[in-house]
Amino acid sequence: MVYLPPPQLASSSRLSYSDAYANILKAHRQSPLTSAASVIILVAPDVDALCAARMLADLFKQDDVMYRIIPVSGVAELERVRDELITVSELHTLILLNMGAILDLPSDEWFGDFSTKMSVHVIDSARPQNLSSLFGGGEAGDRIVVWDDGGAEELEEERKAWEALTYEPLPDSDDDSDQDEEPEPEEEDEDDDEEYEQRSGKRRSLGDGDRVGKRQRVEKERPRRMTHDEHDMYSARLEKHYMAGTWHGQSAAGTIYILATALERVDNELLWLAILGLTYQYTTSRISRSYYETYHAIYHDEVFRLNPPPPTGDNAMISLNPDDLSVRATEELRFMLFRHWTLYDAMLHSSYVASKLGIWKERGRKKLTGLLAKMGFSLLQTQQPYSHMDMDLKKSLVTKLGEIAPEYGLVELSYPSFMRCFGYRSQPLSAADAVEGISALLDVAGGLRMEVEVEGSRNGGEWFGGGKLWEATGGSRDTGRRKREERENIPPAGAAAVSNKSKRIGEGEEDEDAQAEGTKEVQWWVKNFWTAFDALSDIVPLRRALNLSMTVHRAIIEQGTSIIDKQDIRTMRNHRVVVLTQGPHLALFSHPGVLSRLALWLVDALRDRLPGTTVSRRTKRKSLPFVVACLNESMQSYIVVGVMAALDFGDVRKNEFGLAFLDAKERCNARTRHGSFDTSVLEINQEDLKVFLETLCEGPDA
Amino acid sequence: MSLPPSLRQSVTPPELELIACQQLVEIVPLISMEKTAFISGAYGPLRPPHRAKIPIWMAVNLKQKKKCHIIAPVWLTVEYLQQKLTQETTQAHFTQLPFRFAEISRVLLDVASDDLQNPDKLRTLLKDLREARQAKARAGLENLEHSTLGLSNLSAMEINEIRPFFIQAMAVLGQLQPVFNKDRNTV
Repeated sequence: MVYLPPPQLASSSRLSYSDAYANILKAHRQSPLTSAASVIILVAPDVDALCAARMLADLFKQDDVMYRIIPVSGVAELERVRDELITVSELHTLILLNMGAILDLPSDEWFGDFSTKMSVHVIDSARPQNLSSLFGGGEAGDRIVVWDDGGAEELEEERKAWEALTYEPLPDSDDDSDQDEEPEPEEEDEDDDEEYEQRSGKRRSLGDGDRVGKRQRVEKERPRRMTHDEHDMYSARLEKHYMAGTWHGQSAAGTIYILATALERVDNELLWLAILGLTYQYTTSRISRSYYETYHAIYHDEVFRLNPPPPTGDNAMISLNPDDLSVRATEELRFMLFRHWTLYDAMLHSSYVASKLGIWKERGRKKLTGLLAKMGFSLLQTQQPYSHMDMDLKKSLVTKLGEIAPEYGLVELSYPSFMRCFGYRSQPLSAADAVEGISALLDVAGGLRMEVEVEGSRNGGEWFGGGKLWEATGGSRDTGRRKREERENIPPAGAAAVSNKSKRIGEGEEDEDAQAEGTKEVQWWVKNFWTAFDALSDIVPLRRALNLSMTVHRAIIEQGTSIIDKQDIRTMRNHRVVVLTQGPHLALFSHPGVLSRLALWLVDALRDRLPGTTVSRRTKRKSLPFVVACLNESMQSYIVVGVMAALDFGDVRKNEFGLAFLDAKERCNARTRHGSFDTSVLEINQEDLKVFLETLCEGPDA
Repeated sequence: MSLPPSLRQSVTPPELELIACQQLVEIVPLISMEKTAFISGAYGPLRPPHRAKIPIWMAVNLKQKKKCHIIAPVWLTVEYLQQKLTQETTQAHFTQLPFRFAEISRVLLDVASDDLQNPDKLRTLLKDLREARQAKARAGLENLEHSTLGLSNLSAMEINEIRPFFIQAMAVLGQLQPVFNKDRNTV
């Protein structure tokens, strides 16, 4: 439909976010039997969407609007949910968070069949956006409202091109128009193949009908038809729009924050969640450093507006009083979770430091200790958990790093960020750490056996070999009590059923029953979603999740260093390919989120050691395409993740792997499945992997 | 006020809280509302920025939706409570405090701590007050006899806390009483 510009570009004739929100409220209040199913929010499983969902939920609760949140893991799941929702008659608002920008929503496959009173709001940070969702009009199109961040203003040319190609008749020459129609099917979505085929079929029939039926009328009524050149130009325009690769715009949480600003209802909670959304985008290399700094400046002003001036000196890093929930600006170092680990570990596990110093070799580790010694940190100090380090060392950390690290080639070690105090319940938590904790919960809170280190188990602490099994439900005390309660509440004959059920509620043990595994498979990410959702507002589970996140990071580092050590990276033409078939953490890496993180780590670690290659046929810029595949033994398939990294740290490139995957799949007829909304993640059958990789790396020109 | 299940024979603290929330509190509304009829009475109209008096339950509801600011009652300030605390610790009898001060202060501190001045100091003072009064109540129970118990200026929560105990104790004492007299008569 008409997209919504952000409020600063809105005027009386052009609606914006607050008007859309007011419409949602109005529809809710006017529907006679407002039930909980009238406003439904579909949320993609990433931290940004989670924060946006939380913010929207808070806004709705304050306005007494009943809503329902449904997590959706991928396009297939979205289709299933859509089929369920089409039967719900009271539904009048559907909000999609971080999904659906690339889908052609007004078409019949998606929301064309829904009633006209229903509206679909798309708040998605993924770009490029589908042009028919943005510009499509008519009855079907008017229902779709895309909340845009101003980027669509610059799509004027694309808009003209799209309108010309959709509405105006095609040039009527006999011989060339058949070939002219060929490029059109390719320029649409990058989704499942059925849609792909269907669309090209539809396109062709539409074009034919137009051409034949309208020719007579057209000659009489419209004096002007599209010429071939114009047609080519328009098609090229659209192709360029869709084929440039995927990148990200404003975070969903940021969009909701702007809505709250327009409604004048911002407060610290919403600000903190918006900051988390932005930090997530930056730490997962979805946006570049300069983009991050633009938004950071905005949030910085907001922090100063909404919070009392931060204390200086000794009190800068602690909560002032038990009700202190303020957000403060800090400098964040690029070491992963460094305030919760030992300093040495944090630097060891940071991909940037790892790459510059060459950590996986003994020589590199010596360099690291040398660096720390130069800064005046004794080895003993750096092996202590950060919270036990000397206070003056902690204070001087950032400045010393700034002075001494450049000698080792480590520049840009810090970036401006925020932290939040939680009264006396916990130490202040930085935004990056919170994002790490939440994404660890989303990925692996349930469904896997994860061993988490107990603090104090090193250096001969009390518990030798101190690993504790991670339990998402809040510790063994809770699950033990729950098991006992369950046993009390059931009749004596059901003891066997109880023991089965309690086994499934606890950590994910391997279940032989395929059907049970099927339901478990569907539900593990839903459970993770809700665990992470709860942790957003409660600091205690979030703190515990940091331990889990550290375990995940440790596994990533181990795997990454072993890959580099064993020289497992194959170069196929322009791409670097890594295939994981064995290892202690194979089950962990069959999750796309964790696998993407491994890919990003490898890219960072090898950034300076590998020459960049030109992969794209459009630009001549060099980049580092990386493909990582991991075997999922139980499903007999491989998860493949493609990452297109820039040569400089802090820069991002558009990710062309979505298209490349589809291309390669077409050409080699592999059996694949797109499991998530990220088009650069793919699941492929075990036997087809080799052929697929070869086709992929040959490139489309071969 | 934690009661083990065996002593739970009277009103529970959450119920007392509910009863206490019927009282009126002053707010500064951020939205406007006409004079509306509720079951307990008609409240409003709310015209920002003028103050209005509404029941605590309604004020809590509005506050959670960020639609009002709650103004602390006169007694919920650091100076007043400090004064009462010094009185409490120097005198042998209980000082005069609002009957339901424990419930109301808890509710307001939970929901509207940003509207109160110095909330953690308030919490400390309230805790000190409770401990001082508890000590006095324990001492007073030594004078328990079978017919009357006089402890003036006790608050609703404190009464509720010792009520199950002293009812039973007085019953037992009452049973012991005539036995004692009978013994004396026969002697």
